[in-house]
Amino acid sequence: MPFDARSDLLANKILTALPAADLARIKPKLERFEMTFGAILNTPNQIAEHIYFPDSGIISLLGTLGEGSNLEISIVSSEGAIPLCPFLGTPSSPVRALVQGDGIAHRIKTEDFLDECRDSPELTRMLLHFTRSLMLQISQCAVCFRFHRIEERLARWLLMSADRMESNEFLMTQKTLSHMLGVRREGVTKAASHLQKLGIIKYSRGNIHILDRPQLEGAACACYAILSAGTQ
Amino acid sequence: MARKIKADENESRLNHLLGALPDEDFVRIKSQLEYIKLPLGKVLYESGDKMSHIYFPTTAIISLLYIMENGGTAEIGIAGNNGLIGMALYMGGETTSSRAIVQSGGDAVRMKAADLRAEFARGGLFQDLLLRYTQSLMTQISQTAVCNRLHTIQQQLCRWLLINHDQLPADKLVMTHDLIANMLGVRREGVSTAAGKLQELGVIKYSRGTIYIVDRKGIERVACECYQVVSTEYDRLLGEYMRKNLPAPIAHISASVRQRTVKEKAFT
Repeated sequence: MPFDARSDLLANKILTALPAADLARIKPKLERFEMTFGAILNTPNQIAEHIYFPDSGIISLLGTLGEGSNLEISIVSSEGAIPLCPFLGTPSSPVRALVQGDGIAHRIKTEDFLDECRDSPELTRMLLHFTRSLMLQISQCAVCFRFHRIEERLARWLLMSADRMESNEFLMTQKTLSHMLGVRREGVTKAASHLQKLGIIKYSRGNIHILDRPQLEGAACACYAILSAGTQ
Repeated sequence: MARKIKADENESRLNHLLGALPDEDFVRIKSQLEYIKLPLGKVLYESGDKMSHIYFPTTAIISLLYIMENGGTAEIGIAGNNGLIGMALYMGGETTSSRAIVQSGGDAVRMKAADLRAEFARGGLFQDLLLRYTQSLMTQISQTAVCNRLHTIQQQLCRWLLINHDQLPADKLVMTHDLIANMLGVRREGVSTAAGKLQELGVIKYSRGTIYIVDRKGIERVACECYQVVSTEYDRLLGEYMRKNLPAPIAHISASVRQRTVKEKAFT
């Protein structure tokens, strides 16, 4: 479905920050795309045919290959765009991008996207900037995996998801959580039950409800505050 | 401050990125390159510093350390003659968020921030190389994250030794267990145990702050897949350049920062 300015609200922070002339040029090439939980937006080592600019929802970027292929190393929402490989010079990349929270994106054909990058220094500048912030997020994740306890990481993950979904309630199975956090399911269950016992969250049948946000922030590692500051 | 030493052309091109530049591009920048010696332990940048230069190591190896809120550190990437230090200069933002420290003393050439930005803005192959390298560093950092989560200290130590060995002229590495522990973000005892095990296996020899790589294949067998993932990806992104099999010509359009056409062939 081609983009329709009357019915589709553009909320992606890169696109909406473009100069009016650049946005006017790119708009007819955008296509509205509904992101549904579990959809794969980029498959490792397959040519990226579209670039997605999320307006809402969450996209998980999972570890490169092999054993790490289920491990979440960063998340992208309305502040960014994926995949970045065409922008960085290659048609494909080893990254898997998976929709983690339902939402809307606007996507553009890779060929059109590269034309726009050529014609819009501002788009290029913002994409470089976003690439850098994504690298910071991945670096933070590396450190977090090394040093922080499961419960701290779970708390951080819940906060980041709630921020992006703009809701204190969302669906998430333990299996997905265990993949995202790179720990066994028992580890997730234990950490989640503890947060529940403290009255911070309510967790039942895949539904997570954040009851006490300030306490959840207290339970999260410092990575949450650092990453939130970084995406402003 | 010491007098600036103009970089020797052949030595500059020991850096693989500079070495891969076609002559006509290299000619343009060579007068902007300055030779610099980088002793072990020298800090090129602290987190938050304003950056004045981009560095292209020729024989030195630089470690990128992420600084935690409590002051602790962990290595997120390594750049030797296959890379550069200072990508913030072309990615936007002048300050760095990690500490860049020399982990194996040697030489580098560097280029002033303003010169680098001007050259990057020209587009063309230099820009393309830098962006591809950015992508490869992103993979390296991602794989570090995965490795931190999933693999044993011994496997991580092997990964670390292999990455360093790739960039060293000889089979030895001057490095204490303390330093390795800082890099890997683990306790020193953990490193000592892992190194002792590798020595028992006969794949390394360790004596007075020097690690000798005795059996590289043996280290590869003990290492996790992470080393292979990172080096395969580097080759996918940059191998074509290194082998002087350059992608299709790229238009130079100074008004824009990015001038790639999509008609590039997929790497295998």
